[in-house]
Amino acid sequence: MDVTWGAGVSHEIAWGGLIAIYLFLAGVAGGAFLTAALTDLLGKKGPSKVVRSGAYIAPVSIIIGLALLVFDLGRPFSFWKLLFNVNFGSVMSIGVFIISIFTALSVVYAYLIWVSSAASGKIHLTTGAAQTAASVEVRSQGLHKAVAIFGVVFAVGTATYTGFLLSAVSTNVFWSTPLLGIQGVPFLPFLFLVSALSTGLAAAMIGAFDSKDLTLYKKVDIVLIALELILLVVLYASVKPVFFGGNLATLFWLGVVLIGLLVPFVLTIYGVMRHKNLVLPVSSMVVLGGVFLRYFIVYAGQILR
Amino acid sequence: MDALAKKHYAMVIQVAKCLGCQACTVACKFQNHVPEGQYRTKTPVVGPNGTYPNVRMYFEKEACQMCQVAPCVQVCPTTASHYNEDGVVLVDVDKCVGCKYCMTACPYDARFLNKETGTADKCTFCYETRVSKGEKPACVSTCVGGALMFGDVDDPQSDVSQFLAKHKTEVRKPEFGTRPSVYYVYEGVK
Repeated sequence: MDVTWGAGVSHEIAWGGLIAIYLFLAGVAGGAFLTAALTDLLGKKGPSKVVRSGAYIAPVSIIIGLALLVFDLGRPFSFWKLLFNVNFGSVMSIGVFIISIFTALSVVYAYLIWVSSAASGKIHLTTGAAQTAASVEVRSQGLHKAVAIFGVVFAVGTATYTGFLLSAVSTNVFWSTPLLGIQGVPFLPFLFLVSALSTGLAAAMIGAFDSKDLTLYKKVDIVLIALELILLVVLYASVKPVFFGGNLATLFWLGVVLIGLLVPFVLTIYGVMRHKNLVLPVSSMVVLGGVFLRYFIVYAGQILR
Repeated sequence: MDALAKKHYAMVIQVAKCLGCQACTVACKFQNHVPEGQYRTKTPVVGPNGTYPNVRMYFEKEACQMCQVAPCVQVCPTTASHYNEDGVVLVDVDKCVGCKYCMTACPYDARFLNKETGTADKCTFCYETRVSKGEKPACVSTCVGGALMFGDVDDPQSDVSQFLAKHKTEVRKPEFGTRPSVYYVYEGVK
């Protein structure tokens, strides 16, 4: 403290990089799960590479995310208190339950997909183990479908929750920006849901990059990237320009817009038209863009208040 | 705020009477064992701004504004942040996990993560240690310039009630609808 002028006005950033990455990983988990489960539910063949990739990425991603979240707590070992002291008025308190259920479903789903792959000979096992897997698969078909359907609901819940977590802070004018100025309809849940779908789909494609036909997924990705670009234009028009300037300008324009959206958008279209496999570079950029987006939103809301 | 609250404690800060001596800052550190480098209250300078003959400089005491509609209480996932029976916003250290959601919600930057406990910390109006025993908060008792008043605004006979009835006061960031219980009087400085 300066004895003449008093202690300076502190401006501590409460939520930093760990929270940004957690929000990103929760989105990827939700998006990857949706990619896998929807393909699985709507498609007719056994689990394709994309289904397996998405089903395995989801639990890994959400569990790493939760570990980061717990590590960021002032008291990491007291995280269990979140389960026993509930505040229904707090978005975070509700989110704890949504994410816990999603995590459990994603683990069960990954197991069922593994069993199903083993049964159809996509994973090499000893004859005995393959037979066991086949019998488990036959018995768990009803469960498989139920987990996929409930998982879809909770995956959407998880992805949207990450937006609601921030938008519920009504004293933060950036985070609580309404969608198109409509009072009571927050903007961030939509942006984070679209980004989650896009990054989750991209992550699932990375895991299945050598699959023969990913054209449908690429087309969906083009739509999602276009949607995200539109949402960012809406955001840009909804808040003061100061949020896109200063230290965060490079992160936003170079990281989020150029690397994360525009370049992948152009390259995906090019790849689809020319039948070129550009999945690895394009999807990696989309995923990276998702990280940049969470960093930008988390920091812009706290640096400029 | 809890409709059943028995009292409504409030603080009045007469900015023009503050000398910037920082006795409040130090008294709070003594009373509440606040860790090094962290503050439950502080009184930074504002200014000097302007040019002669319109130079302005004053000190503005900052701390928890004891909102009656507190964003921190609303967002707290474990109900650690709460209104007590006298309507004072407090943190239950046993329930707090240190998620910092309250810190993102407080528009007054009044909260910090206590380095020693890992839990959210802030001004308590010295509720447990002094006010519940009929004393004033440490900063109010020690204030050299007589800039601070404290009392129950639901009691029409209290000093603060009588003062508030006669003077024009302001609350910080009223646009957020938090209804703070800390009132600022800028007569003579603005």
